[in-house]
Amino acid sequence: MQTDRHQSICKLIDKSLAGDVSSQEEKSLRQHLLACAACKQYWDTSNRAIAGLKGFAFETDPNLPGKIFAALTLRAAQLETQQLSHRQLAWSYVAALVLTLAGSFAAMQLGDRFASAFSASQQQVQLGLIAIWIVPSVCFCLLLPTLPLMSKRRLHAKGLPL
Amino acid sequence: MTLAATESEPERIARGLRHRDVALLQTLVQQYQYRLVRYFIFLLGTRDPVDDLVQETWLRVLERGRSYDGESRFEPWLFAVARNLAIDHTRKHRLVSLDSDDNDEREAVSFSPVSGADSPFEQAARSEDAQHLAQSLQLLQPVYREALVLRFQEELSLQEISQVVGASVSTVSSRIYRGLAALRQQMDGGAHAN
Ligand SMILES: [Zn+2]
Repeated sequence: MQTDRHQSICKLIDKSLAGDVSSQEEKSLRQHLLACAACKQYWDTSNRAIAGLKGFAFETDPNLPGKIFAALTLRAAQLETQQLSHRQLAWSYVAALVLTLAGSFAAMQLGDRFASAFSASQQQVQLGLIAIWIVPSVCFCLLLPTLPLMSKRRLHAKGLPL
Repeated sequence: MTLAATESEPERIARGLRHRDVALLQTLVQQYQYRLVRYFIFLLGTRDPVDDLVQETWLRVLERGRSYDGESRFEPWLFAVARNLAIDHTRKHRLVSLDSDDNDEREAVSFSPVSGADSPFEQAARSEDAQHLAQSLQLLQPVYREALVLRFQEELSLQEISQVVGASVSTVSSRIYRGLAALRQQMDGGAHAN
């Protein structure tokens, strides 16, 4: 019976050290430790072991922070460039879309007005708009997916790792 | 009153990480250098890859710092980042698994014959008790060493350790008990073992 009590106190000591006891449990533990040499020894040995963990001093490389700062600065620059190119890409898509829509609208709706202004047939104006407006913007849309690749090549040319 | 004056330390760090503030990172690198080195040594039981892993940790913090919300302390988040990198390292180099379940925990605290080579613990032991513990630590399974360093050196709560290691609080408690049992065994030669 007494052994069971000691064992439960040893478990309570472990829980206490792990930071997992209520204030009531902590109080009853302290009371038992005042009166029980065996459990007190368990408590002392545990605390000595924990204190022993603080007796290690690992050596650190004094040059390590400098190396890390350099790596962080380089990586931050890379991330900034990537972020910028993503932003540029997004705006380019928007611009291409707007150009295509505006060109199509002009070709469809304003063809006759342009035709009279330039003394040309409506068909000629539509062909002109397709050639100088819609085809370039469609080509631009098609070329956009290659921009990230070009940006990577530029980074590589600057000597920054990809 | 300015924003900087009212915000807590974790909020200040979270704000800096959101803006990828390299100056803040440099302060954190200095502040946590020793603690990260110690954590990796306890986790891996070796010194060799530690400096590279510390550097990788800060690069990861720079890249993914936006996922730190500043609502809880910075340390558990930082150690969780470090731990993931250590797991990647052990997988890559086929070392002892750090993400194993606890089925073989009983076996993990038993000691095998002591190796002759100086372990990082033996090299770093500065007190007589630390010298006693060095051998046990080298032979202890990484998950127990990790629980010990996070609880007794980093002084994290059980909940915070559970957040770092991605295990339940009861698993973390059990790892601490077993780790302590191994150390006690070494301190008193098994006189009062469980
Ligand atoms: Zn007792």
